[in-house]
Amino acid sequence: MNTVGGHTGRATRSFRRAEKPWARPRGVFEVLARWDSDGTWRNVAWSHGADPREARTEPLPPSLASGVELALERRGIRQLYSHQARAFEVVSKGKHLVVATPTASGKSLCYNLPVLQALASDPTSTALYLFPTKALSRDQEDGLRVLLRDAGLSVGAITYDGDTPGDARRAARQRAGVVLTNPDMLHAGIMPHHTGWARLFSNLKYVVVDELHTYRGVFGSHLANVMRRLVRIARFHGSSPRFLFASATIGNPREHAARICGEPVELIDESGAPTGRRQLLVYNPPVVNAELGIRQSYIKTAVRLTQDLVRAGVPTLVFGNSRNGVETMLKYLRDRLAHDQIDPSVIHAYRGGYLPKTRRRIEAALREGEIRCVVATNALELGIDIGSLDAVVCAGYPGTMAGLWQRFGRAGRRCDLSLAVLVSSSNPVDQYMARHPRQLISAPIEHARIDPDNIEILIQHLKCAAFELPFEPNDVYGDVPDDALGDALDYLADNGVVHPTSTASGSIYHWASDSYPANNVSLRSATWDNFVIIDLDGNRTIAEMDWRSTHTMLHEQAIYQHEGGQYQVERLDFHNHKAFVRRVKPDYYTTAMTHSKVTVLEQDEGTTIDLGEVPLVVGLGDVSVTEKVVGYKKIKFHTHENVGYGEVHLPEMQKHTSAFWLTFPEDFVQSQPEPRAVVVDALRGLSKAMHVVGAVGLMIDPRDLGRTLGSRNEDDAPPGRGQGPGFDPTLFLYDAVAGGIGLASRLFEDREELLRRARHLIESCECNEGCPGCIGPDASGDDEPEAARKRLVLGLLDAVGVSATH
Amino acid sequence: MSIKRSLARLAQTTPRRLDVASVRGALPGQKRDTDHGELHLIDDYLEPHHHHGRAPIAKALCVSTKRLAQLALDPSFEDVDVQRALFLDTETTGLAGGTGTVPFLIGIGWFEDQSMRIQQLFLPELGREAPMLHWLRARVQESSCVVSFNGKTFDWPLLRNRFVMNRVRAPALPPHLDLLHCARRVLRPRLKSVRLVEIERKVLGMYREDDISGALIPQLYFDYLDGGDVSPMAKVIEHNANDLIALAALVAELVSHFDEVHGGDDPLDHLAYAKVAERTGDRARARSFADAAARGGGESACTVEACLLNARIARRGGDVDGEERALLDALAAANDEELRAVVQLALAKLYEHRRKDLGRALEHAAGSASAEGEGAAKRRMARLERRLARLS
Repeated sequence: MNTVGGHTGRATRSFRRAEKPWARPRGVFEVLARWDSDGTWRNVAWSHGADPREARTEPLPPSLASGVELALERRGIRQLYSHQARAFEVVSKGKHLVVATPTASGKSLCYNLPVLQALASDPTSTALYLFPTKALSRDQEDGLRVLLRDAGLSVGAITYDGDTPGDARRAARQRAGVVLTNPDMLHAGIMPHHTGWARLFSNLKYVVVDELHTYRGVFGSHLANVMRRLVRIARFHGSSPRFLFASATIGNPREHAARICGEPVELIDESGAPTGRRQLLVYNPPVVNAELGIRQSYIKTAVRLTQDLVRAGVPTLVFGNSRNGVETMLKYLRDRLAHDQIDPSVIHAYRGGYLPKTRRRIEAALREGEIRCVVATNALELGIDIGSLDAVVCAGYPGTMAGLWQRFGRAGRRCDLSLAVLVSSSNPVDQYMARHPRQLISAPIEHARIDPDNIEILIQHLKCAAFELPFEPNDVYGDVPDDALGDALDYLADNGVVHPTSTASGSIYHWASDSYPANNVSLRSATWDNFVIIDLDGNRTIAEMDWRSTHTMLHEQAIYQHEGGQYQVERLDFHNHKAFVRRVKPDYYTTAMTHSKVTVLEQDEGTTIDLGEVPLVVGLGDVSVTEKVVGYKKIKFHTHENVGYGEVHLPEMQKHTSAFWLTFPEDFVQSQPEPRAVVVDALRGLSKAMHVVGAVGLMIDPRDLGRTLGSRNEDDAPPGRGQGPGFDPTLFLYDAVAGGIGLASRLFEDREELLRRARHLIESCECNEGCPGCIGPDASGDDEPEAARKRLVLGLLDAVGVSATH
Repeated sequence: MSIKRSLARLAQTTPRRLDVASVRGALPGQKRDTDHGELHLIDDYLEPHHHHGRAPIAKALCVSTKRLAQLALDPSFEDVDVQRALFLDTETTGLAGGTGTVPFLIGIGWFEDQSMRIQQLFLPELGREAPMLHWLRARVQESSCVVSFNGKTFDWPLLRNRFVMNRVRAPALPPHLDLLHCARRVLRPRLKSVRLVEIERKVLGMYREDDISGALIPQLYFDYLDGGDVSPMAKVIEHNANDLIALAALVAELVSHFDEVHGGDDPLDHLAYAKVAERTGDRARARSFADAAARGGGESACTVEACLLNARIARRGGDVDGEERALLDALAAANDEELRAVVQLALAKLYEHRRKDLGRALEHAAGSASAEGEGAAKRRMARLERRLARLS
């Protein structure tokens, strides 16, 4: 019987023990059979068997340089997968290319072949490879060097980043045919010194951008501007490079690549690589408190499932969504496996905050098989070559479908059965996915969204660009229209950072400031500005952390978890970016509580939704968002009880962004029979539901969308629970990214549909009085939960005339 | 939101820069037409007997090029024609480097007979660098070498950028003497700081009056570009000229004091010169400077180091007596535990390996622990004891 064919269905009970148990005493089959018999399977919300696929191949292109052909033959490659062959053909026609095929389908050959071909036909040619992390460039550097050597090419490939020693830096400038680097280094270390890289830029044939899907949101908007500057510099040096992009699956690879490089791009998204059989599961932990809709901890569930896999000798990768989650799972796994006499060192954590040396060590151990299970945040999504893993467990939906598939893609390579499990948390979006699991294979994958014209980002990069080369009349900066470019340069001139000189054909704008603008522009918050975490016993740096996370993770008294150990933050030196911690053995960990406040700066659009008896005021505009960590909770390990609170005193974080808002008139609130506080709480619940459907509808990571309830008028006090007359309660949904990337305006456009879908979500939710999956559990703290809460929300929607679509 | 609209909003919230008062005078210097466009040139001669502080600059013409080459640690200066040396110093729009930093004043100087000729190329408006660069290129090509202060790290890389940016072919650079490097070798032990102003005061006896602080220079230039008063620019030009003159004075000073021992110099200077001589393999000179340093009555550490240097030279020359004498002098001068330990370690080795006097070697090894570490010292002593025991 075919157990893993193309069947899809809720909890298909299709796993039998292997007929000869001794033939498969261990492995994925064994674990699935066990789950079938021990009742685990009952909580499987969905299972889907993905069929294996045969390879589709084509002969090597006849025009391929003989040295390159030889190098391929040495690797046993006598044919190309169909997508690789097509990539070679597209690029040889001089087009920009994006390859968007699954993990491990041989994407790098798609860009390496054209580059090798160019180097073989003209050894003075150069190529620039961009990877989002240093680790990835180092990974690729070794492979590429061997490939170049095997192809009989004497040109070198050198990684140029912050860790490159002086003589290698010189070699990169003077000799390397391929320079591998990251966008940050290109931005701050190479382009502002492009005169020293004249050889690279004047012979630049290809710019390779791997892991294109990681460049979304702000980082992507920055990258697009870095590429605009790159093209401008290349033009100055007389070259016009082709862009070769490689991406994991995203909804809009062609459009996204075109946005990044500013020109049309050819897409290849059909992989010719073979895949093995893969079983996909969505596991929804059972409800333990029906009133509050609380489910069993997804963290603990993921740990239990992983434990079964590791026991059965299945190499497993576990993904968590936060650093804290990863460390907690690591601790639990080690605790549990200790009972099974399994050496705790075969399980390891892997996350961004680790120092590079630690990460290298883990990757190597994983490849060697010394480590059997790795618990990771998304760091491993970035294509680091760790060989094949038989199982992937995702603790919590990573926020995007693309992210989920990148994680799932880590399971299974060419032949055997592999397993990918999503353990859904109580989070609304997770529950949405658990309830609509078919979405996982039928819904479109998220689009990668960027806004290179985000004014704050654009202005910053124009400064860098002016530093690199003066802006001449008729200068081109990506696809920014001439008049807008002129306005922006005049703006910079008014602020005295560029100096215009007039010529017959127009103004030339010269950089005119005693500064190095690239140093003040961080492409992502995680590179510069990092806090270092210092262990007071031993006085050594144990990790680094992006400053945005410091407020919630490194406030004083926080429990910082690192490599399965717990440390308490004794002092946070905000000024010098240092956190001093000491090893402790608490029975709890901490999570921060934040408060955010939105103030409208300027309204761009305003209208009413006039469907029922009460019109709703809606608007779109610029807002200031202030976030402050006000305290923290102590959560007990294993039981997850709340065992205490503490205060936090940290500066507020403020940003300007775009928001969509929706105001319920105070008169309407007052006219309700329920007390004002109850109505306001119901509206808060509605905002929660709108946040869920908004994020799902926009196909974005919910964290990219902020949510709060307050007043449009900043003089008003925060919404209290009092009875007195108050302000008009306003729900805000805003771009979490400073400056915004256009999410708020799309919500504004779809405002009525948004309300209808929110209603549908609330109505279709199985809970009685609100759960984390819809309007959130009752937050009043009363012993007696407000019985009519969910009904109240629906009643309010009735009053404003929002009825469900289905 | 369109770029134009967001810009308008951004502009509302950012205050415009205040206009700089626009009282303009005339800049020093003249416009000059060249094949590559108009150049603003400040051209000046100094009197032949011009002194910078107490240092006569023309003395630079008669320095020993052999000594110069040693001081520079660069043999290409051995036969250099000092008469054709080019002194170079720039004033820039910033210290950050990179393509957005522009040298707006390029000062060059050279000797015509006994007089120093100073030419300063001023950039009256951004974007008009080409004539300056062509002018500089021609002058560099006629020169035998370039002399600068921090020019290897700062001025020249910056100028090389400008040649690329303005598509002017950069000249091949003749040997480059960076006096900052020489000053570090010779003057840092005594002065600690090797900033040019510091050196001017303490070595050349030059106190500038009403000099402009280097840190302010970029902003003064931007103010000038925005239509501000020219008098601060005149000061910048004067500052740059003084820097050029200081280069010539400093070459004369540093090289002549290396050519022969000046009794009045600080023992730290002598010691520093001795080390330079040692690095270039000039043992006789190293020895005479080290002797001067040892006899100079300086700090114990200086005297000890000078003696140790002498001992080193003696050892390389196979002069065991000389080495022993120098080390015993060093021991006599050492006034603290650590210095003594270093000297005793050297003595222990001398007595063990060259004098074969194991008893005295052991005596000194006993005091060498803090120089080579407890463990190594113990092993050394144990070995010596074993060998002694075998002999007896």
